[in-house]
Amino acid sequence: MAAKYVILPCNGLDKEAGCLARELALKMAAATGSEIICPVLYQTAPSRYASLLQEGSLVVIDGCATRCASRIAANNNLKIYRKITMAEEAKKRDYNPGPDWRVGAGAAAFVEDVWRSWQPVFMEAEAGRVPGENAGLFAGPLEYAIHRHDKFIFRVPLAGFYFNENDCWVQVEGNRGRVGISDYLQQNLSDITFVTPPDPGTEVEQFGEMGTIESAKAVYELVSPVTGRVVAVNEAILEAPELINENPYEKGWIAELELTNFEADREFLLDGQRYMEVLKEKVADFNAGK
Amino acid sequence: MAENTFMGVPREKITWAPVIDYSRCNYCLECAKFCPHQVYEVREEEPRLIVANPTNCVVFCRACAKTCGPDAISFPEKSWVLEAIKALRQEEGGK
Ligand code: SF4
Ligand code: SF4
Repeated sequence: MAAKYVILPCNGLDKEAGCLARELALKMAAATGSEIICPVLYQTAPSRYASLLQEGSLVVIDGCATRCASRIAANNNLKIYRKITMAEEAKKRDYNPGPDWRVGAGAAAFVEDVWRSWQPVFMEAEAGRVPGENAGLFAGPLEYAIHRHDKFIFRVPLAGFYFNENDCWVQVEGNRGRVGISDYLQQNLSDITFVTPPDPGTEVEQFGEMGTIESAKAVYELVSPVTGRVVAVNEAILEAPELINENPYEKGWIAELELTNFEADREFLLDGQRYMEVLKEKVADFNAGK
Repeated sequence: MAENTFMGVPREKITWAPVIDYSRCNYCLECAKFCPHQVYEVREEEPRLIVANPTNCVVFCRACAKTCGPDAISFPEKSWVLEAIKALRQEEGGK
């Protein structure tokens, strides 16, 4: 039987988080019948794993923020299905890996807990992600303002969208808000390779983190324009992050929130027209800075 | 660059910028390579990397911290900075 998942863990043997990544890979492989790719061998003899990578979905397990496993995948144009970062899992659990690279009882319990939280995603039980049942609530933008600069064209929807100066938008319908990134940020990042939306149920604050986006260039933290509770995430962008490049205001939306403080949040947001002014300045500054 | 503002408040009044923990930093310079706003400056002498232009840093951006392997970059508390901005806005508006 072909392996369903192929796991590429970090090879950070000199780092605690790297050792934890390996532990998680072993646990996951045993539970799901998956294959593990050795990152060192993969880099010297990639053909060794070619057929394996064709069969199964790729799961990347990074240790720390160096993200060497992700980088190996990006450098080889591998499509990532899911990504786990041990340092972030540790932060979520207030777990401090400490200086011992060998896996003691504390570390084993930690890895067990991380696996338990990810298990549903891989075992295809309830994945914990709520599909957007109100898909019809948000109509696409009717009208865009356009700013041209050299060969670049930046679009900004005029009605119903609000922006923060960190280039994230919210489209509001009643007490629901859909959030995403602007055309300007999308073009700046260029080809988006991976998106981590906020988990459903998370309470997000205005200007707090609402997930991350990665391109070949870097990881980018998204800054939420509004306060609220995440009620849905866009499943489509998990499989096809390039939808954000195609149209960041429609198919490329990131999450839906139940808004809890919009009247107050709005004070710090720009409408389409005013965001356009900010965008023009950014484009001008960026080009002047080079 | 003179009238640089964030949410209507002069940028110089907002204390948002990265802080480098030199006990963790290994001078890989990933952060300086990543940031397009000339916030960091690489020098010959020690410390080889400094936050030279803190007010160039985009308020609430924390992107460079995600590129730092040893997790040596930190930022002020978001909620605290937001409160300060709100207060400053009121001051500006009240004039
Ligand atoms: S990325 Fe981190 S470790 Fe590297 S130079 Fe910057 S602060 Fe130092
Ligand atoms: S937080 Fe953003 S703007 Fe500030 S130094 Fe880092 S990358 Fe540059």
